[in-house]
Amino acid sequence: MTVTTTVDTGDLVEALAGHRHTGGTAIIHNGHPIGHAELAERIDAIAATLGPDPGTVAVLTSRTPATVAALFGILTAGGAYCPIDPAYPPERQAAMLAAAGCRTILLTAQGQRAPDGPRAIDVTDTPTAPVTPAATGPDDPAYVLFTSGSTGAPKPVLTPRMAIAATTASLRDLFAITPADRVLQFASLSWDTCFEEILPTLTAGATLVFDDEAHTGSFPRLLRMIAARGITVADLPTAYWHELVHHLADHPAHTEDPLPPSLRLLIIGGEAANPARLTDWHALPTGGVRLLNTYGCTETTLITHAAELTTETGGPVPIGRALPHVVEHVTAEGELLIGGPALALGYPGLPEATTERFTTLPAGRFFRTGDRVERRPDGQLRHLGRLDAELKIRGIRVDPAEVEAHIGAHPDVAAVAVTGATAAGRTVLAAYVVPAARAARDGLPAAIRAHLHATVPGHLVPGRLTVVEELAHTASGKVDRAATHRRYEREARR
Amino acid sequence: MNVDGVIAIFRRVLEIEEINADSDFFELGGDSLLATRVLSGVARGSGVELTFDDFLLSPTPGALAKRIGAGE
Repeated sequence: MTVTTTVDTGDLVEALAGHRHTGGTAIIHNGHPIGHAELAERIDAIAATLGPDPGTVAVLTSRTPATVAALFGILTAGGAYCPIDPAYPPERQAAMLAAAGCRTILLTAQGQRAPDGPRAIDVTDTPTAPVTPAATGPDDPAYVLFTSGSTGAPKPVLTPRMAIAATTASLRDLFAITPADRVLQFASLSWDTCFEEILPTLTAGATLVFDDEAHTGSFPRLLRMIAARGITVADLPTAYWHELVHHLADHPAHTEDPLPPSLRLLIIGGEAANPARLTDWHALPTGGVRLLNTYGCTETTLITHAAELTTETGGPVPIGRALPHVVEHVTAEGELLIGGPALALGYPGLPEATTERFTTLPAGRFFRTGDRVERRPDGQLRHLGRLDAELKIRGIRVDPAEVEAHIGAHPDVAAVAVTGATAAGRTVLAAYVVPAARAARDGLPAAIRAHLHATVPGHLVPGRLTVVEELAHTASGKVDRAATHRRYEREARR
Repeated sequence: MNVDGVIAIFRRVLEIEEINADSDFFELGGDSLLATRVLSGVARGSGVELTFDDFLLSPTPGALAKRIGAGE
């Protein structure tokens, strides 16, 4: 077991302040540049408005520089950032705000409606004010994010400042970010992946590029925008990269020069990369763009492993080697455990879940990832699957038990089993529902969908919902998700 | 690209045979990610570069074919 790590825990607020007077551009938003000095002023204004010790501060996110200013404003004031997706149903937002204990919520775009409860502050136009960054320690909380929990309630993860600082330092080196880089802002601002784009970029004095053209769903428009803005680094969800490769491979007219010449690094992550797409990628004249596969969990802060996908590897695509700040341990059963400074503090308010997943070994504290891995002869890790039932839906972790809890709460449902199905080469949620005795079968899937859309985020709504007579059970009487799926799959496919 | 061309793209992307001019892509399990495949297919077949928002407003082969016709 390796126990030595290279750690830079210099706080992010300090790292960003170092670029304040360089005259560099921090953000380009739809072509409009925002200097590091202007960004610093916006951050100070938000920190001053919050005042000292604001606790965990919710942010109603938007794809704008105001969200970035809110993140750093909260960290400067000594608080913890908690992103809330404005598209989530009010019930889900309220549950998240309660679980994180937020007393304040920042609004980052015109027309956003604040949820009931916390004090709302519009940060799109905050008066400028000087501020002294709060004194903070490495174990103070930096942010609260939510992952899928088995009970149906959002499961908060609390991450300390040391974890995000150590990870950011590692990622700056891994991505080799210099002040000349222009990094695309693509990931949702409501999840942690966007920190991979924001933090290494801004703390290196490079430029983060927001552009609406990146989100139209049209690859030609995305690629033209990358070329026009001179973007050098892009971080795409693996599922989206799969579609990009499909697009490039299917467009013979574009294969002469398929990628913008400015692009030097493409980072992918979020789920297992498809070996067939990697083969397609290597067959394209990609002009030497560096392709990096990444692995990590919310509980271990952004990225812990990375693999350079330089040549055809054959078989499962590797997740690579541990980054310098990461302590890694693979158990006899093949489970990957992660230790070191990037560990989350735990699941606040859930001591049992915290004890179950964060374990203390002689070499220190470790997070049980639940991922089964194997080491290749060259030392890189390969992901083999899950030790539990957790699924990845469009790169987002989903515990089927959480979806079952929400569907089971519908009065017309007697029993339900949820599992992953493969459709069009991707994993989708498939739900098998047994109606309650007097419930009508007709219209039940639509009623359940409406119930889910009113209570949970879109990634928890099954793409396939099938009404069935009964679920399959194991010999011991437990619901057998896989056997239920096998029995009814043909029906579910319509 | 006519409505049959769009129906063929829906069938290929959704892997569902029973598609007609009024089939709603998103009700049949399509999502924003699969939508990029439809938009790429439309761009390749007709040269018209539609956006995800265009598709949300015209989620059936019939409606999408009309929108493509307007752009050709």
